[in-house]
Amino acid sequence: MLVKNTMHTLVFAAVLGVVCSVLLVTASLFTDPYRRANQQADQVRNYLAALEVPLPEAAGSAELIDVFNRTIRRVEKGGLECFEYRPTADGGPQAVAVAFSGPGVWGPIEGVMALEPDMLTIRGVRFFRQEETPGLGGEIASAAFLNRFKGKQIVGQDGTPGFRVRKSGGGADEPNAVDGITGATMTSDRVQDMLDTLAKRIRKE
Amino acid sequence: MSKTSEASTGCGGLCGGKCRSTLADGVSKNNPIIHQVLGVCSALAVTGKLENALVMGAALIFVSALSNLFVSLLRTLMPRRIRMIVEVAIIATFVIVFDQFLKAFYWDMSKQLGPYVGLIITNCIVMGRAEAFALQNPPLLSIVDGVANGLGYALILALIAVVRELLGSGSLLGFQLLSASWYEPNILMVLAPGAFFTAGILIWIINALRGSAKEEKRP
Repeated sequence: MLVKNTMHTLVFAAVLGVVCSVLLVTASLFTDPYRRANQQADQVRNYLAALEVPLPEAAGSAELIDVFNRTIRRVEKGGLECFEYRPTADGGPQAVAVAFSGPGVWGPIEGVMALEPDMLTIRGVRFFRQEETPGLGGEIASAAFLNRFKGKQIVGQDGTPGFRVRKSGGGADEPNAVDGITGATMTSDRVQDMLDTLAKRIRKE
Repeated sequence: MSKTSEASTGCGGLCGGKCRSTLADGVSKNNPIIHQVLGVCSALAVTGKLENALVMGAALIFVSALSNLFVSLLRTLMPRRIRMIVEVAIIATFVIVFDQFLKAFYWDMSKQLGPYVGLIITNCIVMGRAEAFALQNPPLLSIVDGVANGLGYALILALIAVVRELLGSGSLLGFQLLSASWYEPNILMVLAPGAFFTAGILIWIINALRGSAKEEKRP
């Protein structure tokens, strides 16, 4: 009797496991191409936004990827992967984007910084992956914070490369510093490290 | 009202007396959030915007209806010893299917809801209904119970979200209703404490209204 019960349990568990797996695999296979396109479009959207590429209102995933493929060229400069925005085939680059990443407070932070052709002035910054505390560190993805970067430089007044995210005591009016986020010291520090390293790498190139 | 005879005749005609009472139970009388205080975690987390709350409610209706159906179908076959594992496996399957569907077709919504769709697997409402209802009742009635509890959950979420989005952002479903010229949005309402206050006050009001009616009936 006991053996029979155990057999019943085992068979039931095995059949249920197989049925559930088949369902999940089917769902996964069916949605996979759509999920991939969404993820790619998400990244592309951040690059285009940082580079300030004009986009049609409410552009779909396919449209974004199309714009990206037409106007953005990938180039290597001294081991640095750059994305140049060339709206016309023969003109020079109008902006250059470089990706950066590093540890955040709760998880990795990944983002992209776009520079004007002078390679000194910041055109835009976007974070496309972050898991910072919502409402505090998570504010790094807010427009209010991102807008502070526009027009800033990646070198200080004396020409040394670097970047600062200020916490207190002013200093945010320096050319290579922005005001940090109140209550998000850890996130601000880590973002500063990332951008500082990036600034130095870009200038070295 | 004898339970067994009702149960054996099943849900004959979807509006049989039992179905209606089951539906009413889940939505109002025995509402999972207000009365059973289950599933509060996600109710607090995703109610900053009405749109998010509605999608979350839809997810819960979908999952609890289907998991109730399958748990009920398998209830005589299911070995008692592993019944909880079986229930979780069934629930998890439907939750993941819904999550993948969101990721594929409603990417932005899926990003906003973040981990909370996946966390429906551990939502006490779904598991609670499978254990407390679907294991003892026929399939059709179990679906009704799942839908009813999902609806009850969705209703409360929507209520909390209306208050929070309106006071916190001055909008509903993204449409600006309270003009920024005279209404200063109360950020507290979109942050976590706003959810605690809103849910707490809501539960208090409803229980106070209901309590006064109940007290009189009690000996």
